[in-house]
Amino acid sequence: MSKIIVTTSGKGGVGKTTTSASFSTGLAARGKKVAVIDFDVGLRNLDLIMGCERRVVFDFVNVLQGEANLRQALIRDKTYDNLHILAASQTRDKDALTLEGVEKVLNDLVAEGFEYIICDSPAGIEKGAHHAMYFADEALIVTNPEVSSVRDSDRVLGLLQAKTRNAERGIKVKEHLVLTRYNPERVEKGEMLSVKDVQDILAIPLLGIIPESPTVLTSSNSGTPVIADAKSEAGQAYADLVARFLGEDKPHRFMQVEKKGLFNKLFGN
Amino acid sequence: MARLPSALELKGRMLSATRIRVLDADPDAVAQQLQELNRQMPQAIKGMVAVLESEVALDLPRLLAQLRAAGIQPLAVTDGVLAASAVLAGLAVLPKDNRSRAEPLAPPAPAPVAAPRRATRVVSEPVRSGQQVYVEDGDLVVLSAVSPGAEVIADGCVHVYGPLRGRALAGARGDDSARVFARRFEAELVAIAGVYTVAEQIKSAKKGEATQVFLQHGKLVIEPLI
Repeated sequence: MSKIIVTTSGKGGVGKTTTSASFSTGLAARGKKVAVIDFDVGLRNLDLIMGCERRVVFDFVNVLQGEANLRQALIRDKTYDNLHILAASQTRDKDALTLEGVEKVLNDLVAEGFEYIICDSPAGIEKGAHHAMYFADEALIVTNPEVSSVRDSDRVLGLLQAKTRNAERGIKVKEHLVLTRYNPERVEKGEMLSVKDVQDILAIPLLGIIPESPTVLTSSNSGTPVIADAKSEAGQAYADLVARFLGEDKPHRFMQVEKKGLFNKLFGN
Repeated sequence: MARLPSALELKGRMLSATRIRVLDADPDAVAQQLQELNRQMPQAIKGMVAVLESEVALDLPRLLAQLRAAGIQPLAVTDGVLAASAVLAGLAVLPKDNRSRAEPLAPPAPAPVAAPRRATRVVSEPVRSGQQVYVEDGDLVVLSAVSPGAEVIADGCVHVYGPLRGRALAGARGDDSARVFARRFEAELVAIAGVYTVAEQIKSAKKGEATQVFLQHGKLVIEPLI
């Protein structure tokens, strides 16, 4: 059985693409056959974060318009053979996507035996985001601990349960909260919403907390999903998140301020 | 084949209809207002059963077409200038309301028949930002949270058992006895029969407490629920 999962948030810049990249890489590392699709036509980024930008020949729009077949457009990940990336088109605009076209590509991916199909949504709640979420069975709601992000996520949750294929068939889209850029120190000072505050408003199950970490930026710039960096807290947090998604019982970490010893103060990061 | 004892069965039924009074017969003005209404409360307009009333002569077929295009179902007109064209259009003609009947000399004993039951709608899912729930002619019960940016509206009372953080409007069609009840009151805006207040002006209620809102002498009262 294939599962279609959308990574969405409403608000931009909260970590959707970072999450899509690490989530799909994490699933692939556990042997799953995974495809990840960039729906952000015109502003493609996923290929950069996955480090395959120099191997993009055909893209999602080419496949939709019959200019290339799906196999030609799928880019094999540099580390995992069972992970494939379908890049967005940088030169077209969002009108190039149609629901029928998206459905056909998703059906073809299912027929190819992909177990997990991750749809990386663009920001906003317009057409692009609608296309990305419409066929989803499950959703990762990426949220920053900050009021505007939480409100946008709330809006998106409403759309997920109203404007998707499953919703139209009376099936609930399964929701997962991914709280990114979490900084326990700032939460303690009252500068950021806490996990509890966010959950109180959104009322959906928490899949993972990703701590704010400089590694996320350096990983993005080097084209390696942060999950590959097992030493970084963000990498470990994404690995935990994938384990939880696959049904393992992992306690949430990185919620409390770490008491730093002298050694850590001097040499820690 | 055995025949049924009778072809028609007659049953009484209370029907709530909206009275539409035409103040300005200009079709453009009508069209503009319909469009506005459709934007403000699309759910209320859709399928609304209406009785038309006018003091001024007007092009009834055209008005009917406009109303129907907006989703309103005109059922009848009240007797007057519209009566003749209504008969042609196949609408019923109802007797005019007699104002003096509304204030009878001796108050009649309360009728023994039960009042028509108003429909209550129970919503168990959270009402998210950007969503609007409207209950026509009845109460609304929300078991979960109403998020900031969401609207819960009822012609009757609004009850919210999760936190109420969005807007709650009770008595949307003017029932000033309607109330808003919330177990955790953090509303952005509350209104009863069109009298409203916003979060910034709400001081009497403690944020997050069980609260009720009602109208007293035309003013909103926000007080804790015991």
